[in-house]
Amino acid sequence: MADTRISPGVVDSSFISQTNLRTSLVDSATSTSQDVHRLNNSKYIPPWTEPYIIGVAGNSGSGKTSISQKIIEHLNQPWTVLLSFDNFYKPLTKEQSVKAFNNEWDFDRPESLDLDLLVEVVGKLKKGEKAEIPVYSFASHSRTNKTTTIYGANVIIIEGLYALYDQRLLDMMDIKIYVDTDLDICLSRRLTRDILYRKRDLSGAMKQWETFVKPNAVKFLNPTMNNADLVIPRGLDNVNAIDLMIRHIQKQLYIKSLSHIEHLKTIGINLKFNIEEFPNVKTLRDTNQTRGINSIIFDKTTKLDDFIFNFNRVATLIIEQALGFLTSYSKVVIKTDPRNCEFDGLVQDDKILAVTIIRSGDCFNQSIKRTFLDIPLGKLLIQSDSRTGEPQLHFEKLPKGMTELTHKKIMLFDAQIVSGAAAIMAIQILIDHKVKQQEIILCAYLSTEIGLRRILRVFPDVNIVIGKLSSMNGTENFPDYNQEKFLDTDWHFRHRFIDSLYFGTP
Amino acid sequence: MPNVTVLPQTNQLIGLYSIIRDQNTKRGDFVFYSDRIIRLLVEEGLNQLPVEKSVISCHGGHEYVGAKFLGKICGVSIVRAGESMEMGLRDCCRSVRIGKILIQRDEETALPKLFYEKLPEDISERYVFLLDPMLATGGSAMMAVEVLLKRGVKSNRIFFLNLLAAPEGIKAFQEKYPDVNIITGGIDEKLDEDKYIVPGLGDFGDRYYGI
Repeated sequence: MADTRISPGVVDSSFISQTNLRTSLVDSATSTSQDVHRLNNSKYIPPWTEPYIIGVAGNSGSGKTSISQKIIEHLNQPWTVLLSFDNFYKPLTKEQSVKAFNNEWDFDRPESLDLDLLVEVVGKLKKGEKAEIPVYSFASHSRTNKTTTIYGANVIIIEGLYALYDQRLLDMMDIKIYVDTDLDICLSRRLTRDILYRKRDLSGAMKQWETFVKPNAVKFLNPTMNNADLVIPRGLDNVNAIDLMIRHIQKQLYIKSLSHIEHLKTIGINLKFNIEEFPNVKTLRDTNQTRGINSIIFDKTTKLDDFIFNFNRVATLIIEQALGFLTSYSKVVIKTDPRNCEFDGLVQDDKILAVTIIRSGDCFNQSIKRTFLDIPLGKLLIQSDSRTGEPQLHFEKLPKGMTELTHKKIMLFDAQIVSGAAAIMAIQILIDHKVKQQEIILCAYLSTEIGLRRILRVFPDVNIVIGKLSSMNGTENFPDYNQEKFLDTDWHFRHRFIDSLYFGTP
Repeated sequence: MPNVTVLPQTNQLIGLYSIIRDQNTKRGDFVFYSDRIIRLLVEEGLNQLPVEKSVISCHGGHEYVGAKFLGKICGVSIVRAGESMEMGLRDCCRSVRIGKILIQRDEETALPKLFYEKLPEDISERYVFLLDPMLATGGSAMMAVEVLLKRGVKSNRIFFLNLLAAPEGIKAFQEKYPDVNIITGGIDEKLDEDKYIVPGLGDFGDRYYGI
């Protein structure tokens, strides 16, 4: 029985501290009826619609790629995207391709690059949309039919010869770096790479350098050094310069994540909140049965297998409740056995898809399986940064064809809503994939009022089912749905303990 | 109707019944969606059991007045169709004891006859969930209730769970055992001249067990 007493582990590094909650109480007391009208104006700006964009330019062989990799390694940020110019060469025609194989094609002029496409890709990522990155093959001098899908970049590194050439790209960058390495060193590095990794011969590689690379560098590339904020002489060897640069970028990112958190904190506090005014929010009926199940789940003496069993029960009830948000049904006449009697039935029009937020939302998996015979199941991994508490998207795998489906409801699962940040981020991800608010049903077992307010403030039309909702204020009159007088500050509403117990690991 | 609970007839529930009523529905789907309805019936039954206030010490130290389920329960299925509801019962009360009653029509008298019963020893102290998916005339279910009463079960502690009921069956039940609780997923139009529920859903046991 030792494993039944696992202390429910990780403190959710959510950013509402108790003090913040207190101040928020004061704020809500002074709120006015205007707040309702301001409801639609509040917008969540996810970190990936304001990605930090770094440009890294320099000569062929200057060490741009190594420096970019060094930046990635040191930032250690989820969703850092490296956009290499190598994948943005324009595809060659047959004749051009023949020239290229004879080393007679100039790859090193700005025109050989599809800068328009690169601008489009970065623009899309900046809007929080999905972007397709082409994959270029040096062996055949053409784009392969594969693309890499990128979505939700937090940091974008644009790396290439002409990274600091196009004004449209320069305008989008937060920091512009030029790697200034001696041309002789560049040549020796380039020869090694061309011969070893790109399967060229020595004379061909030399011919390219003499005819194209060097003249272009002088004519087009070197002047772009003037566009840089920072010039790093000697490339990767310049340890001090790289160290200073990385520190600067880290500081900028820290400021960015603090402002993201500040923004999240302020959302929803002043919202005039009365659950009856939100027909799109439902709490589980307060009955003997739900009270009994809650008591088992909350009780610290409950054995682990009883905990899991009863969570599955309540999760199933939440899902059944959520299905009440399905509105579109078609009439159908059913024939029954054995007399061919007719029954006026209904067929549900919406296709249901499920998305769980790893790991807390996965507590619903068994109940999902129990309720739906075959249901596509997507996953999102959102975690709080241990340093700043900022929620970050780490992994995203959504059901195929989700965007294109016309009649659909996406059930989004999380066992607990504490600060609301993860849910807001998850909803934003769905919306970025062209899902409408009305098509989303967020299901959670426990939620704080402040978390729910924040979600509603940003997404007033999302459907929400909550198993048990706590209250922000400790006044005498608790709402009908919270006769147990739970407060947002109660430990079990403030900590993500459900998934720790459910999976038996902190 | 006192003591008769009908599940709320939501579009979703009507959708589920549209699947299991359809004679073209394959067995896998029939079983899956029947189980879903059965769980709703069981949860509703559990909801009607009394609870007592109890102080709960939560994880993290908070204390509050919660609810504790009172009393012991058991399931009693009427063989064969009633056994199809046992899994749904176990999905909601894991280690519940389950008794069985076999009632068959006597070929000579055409009346239901008790063939077999196996019930928990202490059944008189328990709340009993009587399981039979269809309430048509109520003949065999009433005989089962008779068995339970003889064993000392209190009639208001019997909850008869079924997926579909005929008005005639409910009426007969209420006249004879007004205190027995009936929880049903839906009440159909009537019984036809051959005592089939119409529109009904066919022979539940045959469809569930694929015979």
